[in-house]
Amino acid sequence: MKIPFASEKHASIAKQVIEVDPELQAQAVKRTLTTEGDVLVATFTCLTIRLARLTVNSFLENVDLVIRTLGAFSEDAEKHAAQDSKWPS
Amino acid sequence: MPRRVSPLKRPDRPYLALGLEGSANKLGAGIIQHLPDGSSKVLSNVRHTYVTPPGEGFLPRDTAQHHRDWAITVINDAVKKANVTMNDLDCICFTKGPGMGAPLQSVALVARTISLLYGKPLVGVNHCVGHIEMGREITGAQNPVVLYVSGGNTQVIAYSQQRYRIFGETLDIAVGNCLDRFARVIGLSNDPSPGYNIEQEAKKGKRLLPLPYATKGMDVTLSGILTSTEAYTLDKRFRTVDSEEEDIFTPADLCFSLQETVFAMLVETTERAMAHIGSREVLIVGGVGCNERLQEMMGIMASERGGKVFATDERFCIDNGIMIAQAGLLSFRMGFRTALNESRCTQRFRTDEVHVAWRA
Repeated sequence: MKIPFASEKHASIAKQVIEVDPELQAQAVKRTLTTEGDVLVATFTCLTIRLARLTVNSFLENVDLVIRTLGAFSEDAEKHAAQDSKWPS
Repeated sequence: MPRRVSPLKRPDRPYLALGLEGSANKLGAGIIQHLPDGSSKVLSNVRHTYVTPPGEGFLPRDTAQHHRDWAITVINDAVKKANVTMNDLDCICFTKGPGMGAPLQSVALVARTISLLYGKPLVGVNHCVGHIEMGREITGAQNPVVLYVSGGNTQVIAYSQQRYRIFGETLDIAVGNCLDRFARVIGLSNDPSPGYNIEQEAKKGKRLLPLPYATKGMDVTLSGILTSTEAYTLDKRFRTVDSEEEDIFTPADLCFSLQETVFAMLVETTERAMAHIGSREVLIVGGVGCNERLQEMMGIMASERGGKVFATDERFCIDNGIMIAQAGLLSFRMGFRTALNESRCTQRFRTDEVHVAWRA
């Protein structure tokens, strides 16, 4: 699956945040998470179709949460980052 | 004996922390401030509870969904009420465990995202230690025996040498779980919580029915008592409405009997811990700590020993985000951080696993 983000930074954040938790059935599900620019690329290999459905649903719920969180706070975060950079460190 | 100096120094400037809690059906976000004079100030404490229909408990999948739906609203509310910006914060604290897996993970995802977005350090917090630290802060209790009683936990705790040691605990289910499950059996509402409604129902009870009394040394077991109480509802003397009839009992009588029995057991094990360490203070934390009858019974025991009971109100004894911020900021100030790759949540997290670096 390829999920586009607003920026490379956001895609990277999503990858880092989601990859912390191992898959619930790590022995039956193989997962790779990478970024290609501002796109999050997730590849799942599962033993059964049912497991694939459960895994993908769970992953998309998590991605949705991260996207909404980024949406809610990134503008505010960028505003402060811009302000901070005006001052000498 | 030389007085031990607290390793926690007064802060050189005000510190701010956001705490996020979601280990059960309560989603909380709170912001706390630690001031240079050594005091703590609650700037905001926002909570949204996932309430299920009467007779139903809350399942991990739906609870996680609730937390995902409400996280952003609750956090924004907490930041606004505190009149700060996310950028002013020193750290983002979140419940690492113990608790329910999916709900914990949902909150952790939000914590991690905010941490990376704003470049703020993450601090993973033990839920039980959160309750204890908030209880200490609010009540000012010096070195109490702590009775931590909630839907998920029942422990008697005492502090010693930088650990909160578990003196006694439930061998099976938590007392809150026992009360909540019986509330469901008799169809009480879950709004605002089954525990609150069972307490109100118990006040109407008059008849004390015999139930097994199950303390095992410093520990307690509760599932047998729950089964016995449930069995009474199938008894032919059970009536849903009270009357002048002889030899009957009502749901209110069962609630009353259940509370009296389990609370007496908790008071006994707490007293045993007090005698063991020579303490005169009891601090009750956790959702069941809101129960006024438990506070009353504990108070009677404590005053007979020349001691006193400390308890907080529902803002702090029911799961909340501010307690996570409090415990988190204390460990942050001692240099504790949770790296991103260590920020996994865990359903089992013993209270005594935490190194309480901020106390002597």
